[in-house]
Amino acid sequence: MFVGLLLSRYLNMSVEGQEAVTTVTPGQYILIEGNDDEYPFVAKLLKFFGDESHKQKKALVQWFLRLSEVPQNKKLLLGRSPHPQEIFYYLGRACDNEINAESILGTVHVRQDNSPDTLYVKLSWDTKAFNVLDPVLMQDTPASTPPKPALPLFPPCASPTATPVAGSVSDTRATMSAGKRSTLEAESIHSASKLSASKILSAKRRGSAADTPGVRKKLQLSIGASECLYCLFNILFSPFFPELRKELRNSVCFPCFLIQVTPSTPRHATPSIPSRTVPARQPGNILDEARARLHVSSVPESLPCREQEFQDIYNFVESKVMDGTGGCMYISGVPGTGKTATIHEVIRCLQHASDMDEIPTFRFIEINGMKMTDPHQAYVQILQKLTDQKVTADHAAALLEKRFSNPAPKKETTVLLVDELDLLWTRKQNVMYNLFDWPTRRHARLVVLTIANTMDLPERIMINRVASRLGLTRMSFQPYSFKQLQQIITSRLNKVKAFEEDALQLVSRKVAALSGDARRCLDICRRATEICEHSASHPSSTGLVRMSHVMEALDEMFSSSYITAIGCASLQEQLFLRAVIAEFRRLGLEEATFQQVFVQHRALSRVEGLQPISVSEGLAVCQRLGACRLLLLEASRLDMLQRVRLNVSQDDVLYALKAVRD
Amino acid sequence: MSHGQHYSERFCHQRLPEKPVGMESQHKHLLELLRRTAVHGESNSVLIVGPRGSGKTMLLNCVLRELLEVKDVNKNVLPVHLNGLLQTDDRIALKEITRQLNLENVVGDKVFGSFAENLAFLLEALKKGDRSSSRPVLFILDEFDLFAHHKNQTLLYNLLDVSQSAQAPVAVIGLTCRLDVLELLEKRVKSRFSHRQIHLLSSLSFIQYLDNVRSQLSLPQDFPDTKFYDEWNDSIKVRHFSSYPQLVDVLQRHYNSSKDFRSLHLLLMLALSRVSASKPAIKPTDLLEASRVCMVDSKANILHGLSILELCLIIAMKHLNDIYEGEPFNFQMVHNEFKKFLQRKSHSIHNFDKPVVMKAFEHLQQLELIKSMDSSTAKIQKEYQLMKLLLDHSQIMEALQKYPQCPTDVKQWAMSAFG
Repeated sequence: MFVGLLLSRYLNMSVEGQEAVTTVTPGQYILIEGNDDEYPFVAKLLKFFGDESHKQKKALVQWFLRLSEVPQNKKLLLGRSPHPQEIFYYLGRACDNEINAESILGTVHVRQDNSPDTLYVKLSWDTKAFNVLDPVLMQDTPASTPPKPALPLFPPCASPTATPVAGSVSDTRATMSAGKRSTLEAESIHSASKLSASKILSAKRRGSAADTPGVRKKLQLSIGASECLYCLFNILFSPFFPELRKELRNSVCFPCFLIQVTPSTPRHATPSIPSRTVPARQPGNILDEARARLHVSSVPESLPCREQEFQDIYNFVESKVMDGTGGCMYISGVPGTGKTATIHEVIRCLQHASDMDEIPTFRFIEINGMKMTDPHQAYVQILQKLTDQKVTADHAAALLEKRFSNPAPKKETTVLLVDELDLLWTRKQNVMYNLFDWPTRRHARLVVLTIANTMDLPERIMINRVASRLGLTRMSFQPYSFKQLQQIITSRLNKVKAFEEDALQLVSRKVAALSGDARRCLDICRRATEICEHSASHPSSTGLVRMSHVMEALDEMFSSSYITAIGCASLQEQLFLRAVIAEFRRLGLEEATFQQVFVQHRALSRVEGLQPISVSEGLAVCQRLGACRLLLLEASRLDMLQRVRLNVSQDDVLYALKAVRD
Repeated sequence: MSHGQHYSERFCHQRLPEKPVGMESQHKHLLELLRRTAVHGESNSVLIVGPRGSGKTMLLNCVLRELLEVKDVNKNVLPVHLNGLLQTDDRIALKEITRQLNLENVVGDKVFGSFAENLAFLLEALKKGDRSSSRPVLFILDEFDLFAHHKNQTLLYNLLDVSQSAQAPVAVIGLTCRLDVLELLEKRVKSRFSHRQIHLLSSLSFIQYLDNVRSQLSLPQDFPDTKFYDEWNDSIKVRHFSSYPQLVDVLQRHYNSSKDFRSLHLLLMLALSRVSASKPAIKPTDLLEASRVCMVDSKANILHGLSILELCLIIAMKHLNDIYEGEPFNFQMVHNEFKKFLQRKSHSIHNFDKPVVMKAFEHLQQLELIKSMDSSTAKIQKEYQLMKLLLDHSQIMEALQKYPQCPTDVKQWAMSAFG
């Protein structure tokens, strides 16, 4: 695709299909292929060198930034609206300044004074602030003199009738100023030609990698309408691109097609819930306050009991961000053990550190397997959070693949949190594979933190090549012990005195024995405050939540309701349950048909001195018991032949029935 | 007749009662919970569990009505009603939520975007909200257990996750009659549910039940015609009830069978429909008659409509059931049994051709009085398909007693022990 020729100090390059040969020499400003076809990266070429194996040609560059590449939250530091052609001298160190020569698209002209047409540079950006550019920086390289069109810009074979667009991918100012065009025109042509070159390149490259329809669609859509028209005409009428012409004619034949938008969807719909007219009331008394603090949603001042885990994850992510490398980590633990909360806390601390300039900046994005409709939506969500683009899943996968595998000019480290990993499982496991494969790429700078519930998930559901890429950096969150739970509540309450000490201990011991789920613990405490509030009418009560309140809350949440339900059932329903047990005993099986049970039922009602009920009524009774799942029933179309089973143990039923009679 | 309208609204559940009866503590709990969501912006989740007809929806609607009467709350909550029987998967449920919330991707009555976009949009909307400034959303999930069968329980996870995180305040209220509903939830979903359950189990005694019947039957105080009001309410006083032991028996029977209001309302509606302008009072006989209609066996009516031949076939099947202890039979066996009866005992029944008997047999199958036991009907000849009878002996004997002009020999055949 590229015919690169490494001479001592310059590179001849040409794009296949375009017959121009461009020469780049160190000191020139160059365009480098990036994520965005319309706005390639800008840099100044410092020197060429071969890599260790002398197979790949590399180049050392000094980066320039467009404003769109500056992080969103730092854009305001500029203090004025930027000119679209303005770029900034990059002083940061976070970016790799070594690129593949292959990714060079062509040259560009950069000036230091404010000119509306060409790219110009006035300020420098050191990841913290914009500064006035030291002119020395722009001149210290040996080739600071304006790039001379020394070597053949147009090879001899180029037809003299070719329009400049067709011919040049490079700095054409010299030739064009000689021509009759105004500078303005020349510039627009320049940008058009640059664009087309970039696009041809990336289209070709993609075409050879994977000829997905999604990629082609992107190609069409990303061309601005006017530029497109221009280059389209040039391409169609120039005799030089037979192959490209065909391709373009097939895909973008009618310019109107390009600006077509989907007519139906309401565009720019902002997702929002209407706001309320009266602001929410603030907590009034001490119990309200405690309840607000104990709500799972309230963000605590600190995360107690997870110090070790916090430190491990912090060190892992920090080292990766510092080194600019990538890696994976797998975190397991039962629900409600603070996995997601700990990671959020780690990220909060790291963001703070990066704000304080202790570590390089990084981006944090988060996806959740439960919050998507299909595993492949993961690509869409990641891409949308990275670049704000909305594309289909296939296309997003292609774009992400490109983003993470290409040499990484000016890329911050991305920290990706994948929650509920097990739901990203697909039959071929390609989503998981990609997620774990990207961090291993040399230029990806991706740290993937994954969360799931089971410790042995990699062994159980992942095929070898996926599990191997996930690596062995694992961590498991143990369920909280009762002491930890107690500490969590105490730290959340933070000196709001609403609970008696014993009450707290009871909650934490009970929850620790059951599941160790902190959410459960907080919910019980919240319910206990409510119960306390309702019973607060007693003058003797201190207003504190006591043991009895907690007991009541625990009872409400954990006691099985079957026994109460049997106790509250109607007489015939209770009789039917007794008939079921009697029939089970007779058969020696735990299953009987309705017909068999009904015979028992009739006998029992005779014993009890009740009028026997009809079959329809009996069926209705049976269905009612089935609806609240005291009985398990077969489909009701089987009528009298449906089989009946108990959903509670026989002892429970007998106990409940005995309690009713006494 | 305005009191007729009044009752039809009451018994057909078109109007809420002034106060839910027998569930004061549950009412207080739920009202308090939803009030905190509406006023303080506190997110909550709760399940209302109770058998069918125990008044779950009534309780919730009463609470909502009371809540919306509060001035501050009135314009500040967004109720979203979903039903597991209508929103059978998450895609439909999401569209319905978006439509009811009237988010910005709704145009007219249509929701735009794919399933994935809708989910992302809704989650984004909820995420942007916060406790103090967004309107609280009340998600009411009727037949909650059916939502637990959706793929991955995505909707439940997300709703409950929102209720446990600092996003727009929501209250997730589930209504279900399954006692084991928590076991249906996936562990992550379960962890996010607050485990608040409000049980509606009526422990109504018979005395309370009778009071209830009386209060359900009495006219409200603001009834315009005071003379009629006095007469009517007097007619359903206690002494009228107790002077008819039969009436108390009927009500006791209903109470024994089920305590829920829906079946009671059905009974009272039937009784009231017998009141007319010429007979402007409810009589105990009306209730007895209504009770008879309610209690009637559904298959008895079908049996009364059968032909003699079909009845004979049913008797033959009954005998086969006796002989073979409930094992399935086929047409050939039934036909043989029927032929034996014709040869030995019958005086009044003529011999029918086999195709005619077959036709009668098929008719019984269509009425679902007998049911084929084979799953693949195509392979076996019709005559040899195994069948089972879906009738109880008592039902057959009762039907024979009431069958108009049933031949005596047929009755005797039915009564005889074997064939």
